[in-house]
Amino acid sequence: MANHGGWAGKVLRIDLSTRRISTEDTIEKYKDYLGGTGIGYKVMWDEVPTGTKPFDPANKIVFGVGPLAGTGAPCNGRTAVTTLWPTCWPKPLVASGHMGGHFAAELKYAGFDAIIIEGKADRPVWLRVVDGKAEIKDARHLWGQGIRRTTVDINQQMGPESSVAAIGQSGENLVPMSVVINSYSHSAGGIGGVMGSKNLKAIGVRGTGSVRIAENKEEWEKVVKLHLSLLGSVNQHVVPNSPQPWAEYYSPTRWLGSKGRKWGSAEPNIETGACDPHNLNRIAYRTNNAAFFLGEKAWQYTVRGNGCSSCPIRCHTILKVPSVSSKYGIRAVGQNTCAGLVFGREFFKTFPDGPRGQTAIEACMVGMSLTDDLGIWENYGQMQRDFQQLYYSGAMKNKVGEDEFKGFSWDQYEKGDPTFLFELLPRIANKQGELATALGLGTGYLLERWGISEQDWQQNQKIAYWKMGHPRHHANEDAGQCGVIINTQYNRDSQCHSHVNFTRNGLPIKVQKQLAAEIWGSPDAVDAVAAYSPMNIYKAKMAKWSLLRKELHDSLSLCNWMGPWIASPLKERNYRGENSIESLLYSLATGDKKSRDELDEVAERIFLLHRALTIRDMGTKEMRTEHDTIPDWVFIDPTGKASFTAGTNRMDREDIKLAMDMYYEEMGWDKKSGSPTVAAYQRLRLGEVADGLTNRGLVP
Amino acid sequence: MDVNHIFSRREFILVSGAMVVAVSALEAWGAKEAPLIIMDQAKGLVIADPTKCVGCRRCELACSEFNDGKASPTIARIKVTRNLNFGPTGLYTGQRGQGAWGNGLVIQDVCKQCPHPVPCANACPNDAIVVSPPTNARVVDPNKCIGCKMCQRACPWEMMSFDSDTNKATKCFLCDGKPKCVEACPAEALSYVAWRDLTDKAPPRVAPTSVVSPDKAQTCNNCHKK
Repeated sequence: MANHGGWAGKVLRIDLSTRRISTEDTIEKYKDYLGGTGIGYKVMWDEVPTGTKPFDPANKIVFGVGPLAGTGAPCNGRTAVTTLWPTCWPKPLVASGHMGGHFAAELKYAGFDAIIIEGKADRPVWLRVVDGKAEIKDARHLWGQGIRRTTVDINQQMGPESSVAAIGQSGENLVPMSVVINSYSHSAGGIGGVMGSKNLKAIGVRGTGSVRIAENKEEWEKVVKLHLSLLGSVNQHVVPNSPQPWAEYYSPTRWLGSKGRKWGSAEPNIETGACDPHNLNRIAYRTNNAAFFLGEKAWQYTVRGNGCSSCPIRCHTILKVPSVSSKYGIRAVGQNTCAGLVFGREFFKTFPDGPRGQTAIEACMVGMSLTDDLGIWENYGQMQRDFQQLYYSGAMKNKVGEDEFKGFSWDQYEKGDPTFLFELLPRIANKQGELATALGLGTGYLLERWGISEQDWQQNQKIAYWKMGHPRHHANEDAGQCGVIINTQYNRDSQCHSHVNFTRNGLPIKVQKQLAAEIWGSPDAVDAVAAYSPMNIYKAKMAKWSLLRKELHDSLSLCNWMGPWIASPLKERNYRGENSIESLLYSLATGDKKSRDELDEVAERIFLLHRALTIRDMGTKEMRTEHDTIPDWVFIDPTGKASFTAGTNRMDREDIKLAMDMYYEEMGWDKKSGSPTVAAYQRLRLGEVADGLTNRGLVP
Repeated sequence: MDVNHIFSRREFILVSGAMVVAVSALEAWGAKEAPLIIMDQAKGLVIADPTKCVGCRRCELACSEFNDGKASPTIARIKVTRNLNFGPTGLYTGQRGQGAWGNGLVIQDVCKQCPHPVPCANACPNDAIVVSPPTNARVVDPNKCIGCKMCQRACPWEMMSFDSDTNKATKCFLCDGKPKCVEACPAEALSYVAWRDLTDKAPPRVAPTSVVSPDKAQTCNNCHKK
């Protein structure tokens, strides 16, 4: 270990059943899997037997970070949490949730690359981790408390710098749709109930150590600055959203900073300004996700940007909305990003003052206040889409008993009154009543419980449901066939941004095509969004590359919500980014010199292990037909437009069959079954995995 | 020792750019003659605007990585992490204070490069905290530091860091005039500014009526040269 930088060197293992605490050598045992989801899948493969259920003591939770977590590499704040996924339907399979904040860095400074949680405590406990030492503590006084009170309580015991990842009442009550949250607003979905099943209320981490950079510090500084120079705004949008004096282009991106747009609740106000990309001291002003998702009005409520350790892109926004204190009795200050910001708003179809008005913002504030304390997960907005569909179709009224149904203020709901959220959300966390219990199960199990066919959901583009209980996450609406392929591969929503962060980066299609030619071998790898051309091999190459970079980021601890960084805002570079930034950072930090291709190969090993786990636990090798499925709405255009015409995201069935063929071939898998061959496993030094699957008859 | 540092007789000895003043006015106290450290004014210091801080800690990371080759907020000579969650008044304010859990405001703590007295330097039993050109920052000479942490106890702003790998104290040395933290801030919340010695300037809103007695004025002039 002494030879390596980057890694902390130890993995902490906590058996809650026996209260045994032990450590393992990261390099010795997990170096071939880097960290993060890599360690997660490895532990799940080696140690969690097929047939284990998410809430069984035999299930494990792996909080994994990678060699770049805690360093100054930009955007390294995410912790990957891997476990058997409680909302994966009809059969729970492996998946991961990802939380930002300061937990990842603090874990490294405390001397650990991962925490493996196993077993089940006999009473509520929390885990205290300080500088190489761990202790299982009594949490009976915290049980029943929300995430905020729990966190403050643990901080009072451990000190204000500690990072606390806690569950709320929702996780305690084994609601599958539950999160774990650290640093106020950084959540990992799906994990809360699994922690609750183990009687684990929270993990508090404090570290005063360091992460060593193995190679020359001047070289490191150069590469970090190169990386910073390539950054755009949130989601690596490299073109501003409005005309700027320095900018050749503008387009409707999430790069909102501009002269006249101010953090209006900062005292004094702070102007975001033109944000010339050459000024690395203005990166934090480019993004305001509250203004992007809540509308122009959110600027006046913006206190500042917030986000993860080491990340100059501040994708969380701190808002101060004084009216909510008097109207709803909640704190005036709230913060989150993206789906977390709009959690409360999305339940409603209309608001009295329109979708971007004051009431909508107040619904967002009420939502954040409740859900990030109760610890409820929204499944990338699927919970709210389900809710609206079930309510307005009348299905809800039929399924929920009349007495219970009458107990909700539906007139308020229909008017768009945020007070309705106080009726609904605590019931979800506390499993009170049929409606709340069903919503807390996640879409797949909800539909099953209420006898609704999954196919009904898969017909409707507006519900945006994909498969296995989870929604689409940047599919054909953002990247045509490439997006479709990516959305077939995981056991929850795909969470992959490698592709969409390129196709939606704001650059004109002609520039994107020039870059695509360099990266994937042909300009034909990308189309303009909603002006798709038929499938070609370069789109399959892009899909493979996207998936591998996602796993690479999840294992190194780089944020796949911000990366990759293959385009930049720099005209003098012809908007090129750096396709090797991951390997440059990895090699210098760890001292383990790996080229881009070598590192992509490690990523492929990790991705393949995820595939193997999925095949093993599904008990079938017929992945193409039983796992990699595509909902019908992908092939439907509500206005009847034909595929491959401008203005439609509609895909063509035969073309998508070809797309899957090409993708499997590109991966070196069997086309017919969609399963990796023995040779594919062996090529990535997963011979033992291949043996295990061969014994079960699960290789083609 | 008199806290007001009234020096009537002195001799100046230049040591590593610092002036060590041997004070011999203490016979009445029966103390043996001990040097009192007065340092050349630092040429600048880092100042911070909390309203702009976005809490990313890139300043702490740049400080420790680019200077020490390791990422370590604990040894960083700018301190943000400790105020990040609950603010300087501490976590008993819960959600009513500052920081990400309070009103959102993050206070960055920076070394004041104290003019004089210089509490860390005064406290060092080994005179390891010295003035270092070109910035005249007060820096820890690692060859002299014995790792006793007395400086950590002395700094009223808690700006001394301790590196447990090297067993030495460390403090802001202004990166020889190009502070890494200032360069690293993505929100322009930090600046490196020149110290301006206003000792002899008249306050703008007050008639300059304060009178310094001639012998005291002479003492001042020894350091604050006209």
